[in-house]
Amino acid sequence: MLSLFMPHSRLFSISLLAFVTACAHPRIGAGPGGGGETRAAPEESCLLSTGAVSSPSRTITIGLSEAVNPRHAPFARNDAERIVFRHLYDSPVRIDCDGQVRPGLVDRWEKDDGGRRWTFHLREGAQFWDGAPVTAQDIVFGKGGVGYTLAAPEKSVVALTFAKEKDDVPALLGDPSLAVTKPAPDSSWPIGTGAYWATSATTTAQEIRAHTTSGDTLVFKFAASGDARDLLDAGVDLLITRDRALRDYAATLQNHTVVALPWDRTYVFVTAEAGGTRLDAGGLEQAVRAEARRAEGSSWWLDLRGCALARDTTPPASTGQHRILYSRGDPTARELAGRLAALTHAVATGRAPDDFSDALAGGKDWGYVVALPRVTADACRSAKGLVPAWPATFTALVDTRPTAIVRRDVARWTVDQDGAVHLVRE
Amino acid sequence: MRFRTRLLISFGVVVMIPLLVFGLGIRREMSNRVTAEYTRRVDALFDVISADIARESDRIAARLAALKSALVADDRFRSWVVRGENRGYVLDYAGDAMQLAGLDFLQIQDDDGRVVSSGHFRNEYDRLGPAVPGSGAALVRAATAESSFLALVTSDTLRIPPRRFRLVGGIAVDSQFLARLARDPELAVGLVLPNDTTNADSGKLVVPLPPLPYVDATEGPGRVEQARIVVTRSSAFLTALQRNVNLWFAAAVLVAALAALLLAGWLSTRISQPLEARIAIGDLARQVNHDIKNGLAPLRNVFRHFAQVAREQPAELPQVFAERQGTVESSISYLETLAANYAKLSPQSERKATDVNSVVRETIGASGTVRTKLAEGLPPVSADALVLRRVIENLVSNAVDSLEGKNGTVTITTERGKNIVRISVSDTGRGMSKSELDKAFDDFHTTKPGGTGLGLSIVRRLVLDSNGSLKVETETGQGSTFIVEIPILS
Repeated sequence: MLSLFMPHSRLFSISLLAFVTACAHPRIGAGPGGGGETRAAPEESCLLSTGAVSSPSRTITIGLSEAVNPRHAPFARNDAERIVFRHLYDSPVRIDCDGQVRPGLVDRWEKDDGGRRWTFHLREGAQFWDGAPVTAQDIVFGKGGVGYTLAAPEKSVVALTFAKEKDDVPALLGDPSLAVTKPAPDSSWPIGTGAYWATSATTTAQEIRAHTTSGDTLVFKFAASGDARDLLDAGVDLLITRDRALRDYAATLQNHTVVALPWDRTYVFVTAEAGGTRLDAGGLEQAVRAEARRAEGSSWWLDLRGCALARDTTPPASTGQHRILYSRGDPTARELAGRLAALTHAVATGRAPDDFSDALAGGKDWGYVVALPRVTADACRSAKGLVPAWPATFTALVDTRPTAIVRRDVARWTVDQDGAVHLVRE
Repeated sequence: MRFRTRLLISFGVVVMIPLLVFGLGIRREMSNRVTAEYTRRVDALFDVISADIARESDRIAARLAALKSALVADDRFRSWVVRGENRGYVLDYAGDAMQLAGLDFLQIQDDDGRVVSSGHFRNEYDRLGPAVPGSGAALVRAATAESSFLALVTSDTLRIPPRRFRLVGGIAVDSQFLARLARDPELAVGLVLPNDTTNADSGKLVVPLPPLPYVDATEGPGRVEQARIVVTRSSAFLTALQRNVNLWFAAAVLVAALAALLLAGWLSTRISQPLEARIAIGDLARQVNHDIKNGLAPLRNVFRHFAQVAREQPAELPQVFAERQGTVESSISYLETLAANYAKLSPQSERKATDVNSVVRETIGASGTVRTKLAEGLPPVSADALVLRRVIENLVSNAVDSLEGKNGTVTITTERGKNIVRISVSDTGRGMSKSELDKAFDDFHTTKPGGTGLGLSIVRRLVLDSNGSLKVETETGQGSTFIVEIPILS
């Protein structure tokens, strides 16, 4: 019966496009060198294959299927905030899809003392949207982490000192949370240093307009009807989604290309139960509608001994019926919690994101489905708010990745290691 | 116990008890009639609910039959059955189909009863589904990821070689579903599930319908038990009715009590006050008698002493008189003081403008034996109306008595004189002789058995106190006329 909604010809198209996109990404290329590199080579390998761009458009439209709250900047809570914030706020460096360090607010760096001390030089002319120059102090103020220190020995020099030698360019400064911002007195958007700027005046319930000083415009459009297919039909140039149904729909559109992005997120089941629950995590990728695979790769959250987290020595006691909490608004977390509930006869319960973080920190419930970044430049920084301080057992469930739906021949897009897509300005 | 209290208790017994019995009777009769009406409605609803459940079951079965046809024809489902492809499509199948078919519960189970696809809980695949009976409707408590719900389900089977599947579908049994079954706002339809005591309230009118198979599938396939649909009556209507009756009953009791209180007060005024006044007069008379005797005793002793001295030693009488003169004077002084004190107890009249004719009319009322000839346009006199009334009452009473039960007339005439108004009370009775007339105004002189002898004496005093005059014209055998003249108000 449901074949009425998905003709065989369309299925074939989807399969073909999936094959094409799999071939299109990622294109591994030569990255910048190690210590002493002053400027990175073009990141051709991380460009999304979306055709030749002969005459770039001055206005690019990006569709958003989730809400964006300016007050979260620069800490993105979802894919929509990640792509918006990436265009508005610069971190000191970027980490491309190959893990290579790329210039951001700093454009050159060198190492001293055998790799214990790294010196980063601010990009000439780096400034806030209001024209104020960015200083090294703006970058290091209130920042720092475990195993390294940040300092501003000069106005335009950031010094990163490690306890141990580092041979490769440290990726720590690529953490998006190190993006430089300052409060704006008349706007809900903090003032950033990115090429695009936005204010409350350029923001409505339907769209966010971000501009450059040269007159280019990025329009972030929300799906007013709640159906992201409307955005595609309206002709947006880029849409990031984890919904396979939306991906399949986009594959039927002639002017768009579907590009699979890196596996960027791992869902983990966290419980205080000694030894973890004996759930059979196999086949969980069937339980979610997002593109998923069995979790693999390094699990940075398993070794946080060096992070000096305020660890509780005793696990919290859960009472009553087994309950599995998940963050409401994350459909994949909801589906995984439901599957785990079916397997363990527990009950799945959604919580608002902030409430979920509080509940996870408290650890009063039996289990939690937590979405963690699959890779991180700073494990200790990433662990804050996502990994509980109490003794927990982690069971990696699935990896998921988003899909970029890109209009052909309009603009060039590149993807970073954390899966964030951003426009390559010509 | 006071006379007024006794009156109140009597009214309570006479009025309140019948009122109470009446109110309780109404309440009981009302309750019986309402209960009988409810019973009739519940009996009627019994058949309606049975028919409704059968009709809902048929509708679910029809939707499952349609889904079955679509599923058999679905190539992608078949490819999963035969080659294990399109697993994701199969997992989502029941969810989409459930919404299209307007169901709240849908499972596709395999031969082992394991869930292949679930519409209400997508990710419960591979679990054992509810072990519902093979035919007919059943109640299932089904699990979702976040909670559980109750559904009325039926099932159907299909075969896609080499496997057999079972479709289990249904609709949610929630408060809205039960309300639709009830159709009567004063009746409620509820469910009594196994181990459920919340609805088995023996205090309600509960009518069980034929039991339905029930399976609790929240933690596994469960087993078939029995659930009952019951009809309970709402007590809201009867309670409201009884509350209204109680309210009106309380109001009636209050009004009756108030009326009894006022009536008792009025009656006590009319009956007990004169009685109590007479008792008070009696007490006063005894006190006067005692006080006068106290004053007379020394006088009597002195007088006896004088008599004895005069009889036995007459020569010493002046000396003895001089010795006992102080005692006599002291006793006389005591009696004078006593008289003055008692005089203070007499109420002071209040003279003011008084219409004589009005007082005459009020005094005689509707008496048929007294005639009146009242002059028109009389000026007001200066007198106390109450005093004037007592005067006329006494004179009329004497006049009627003088008729001695024979035919005769008593006439009251009013007329204006010079600066006075004249009131004449005439009778055609036996009249008075000269000697009788001389004593007529003496205190304690009476010609009537049982009389006090104070009537005319009081009349004369009251008239004189009003600055008036009293005259008598009488003739033996012809009757008497007492003429009272009261000065006009200047």
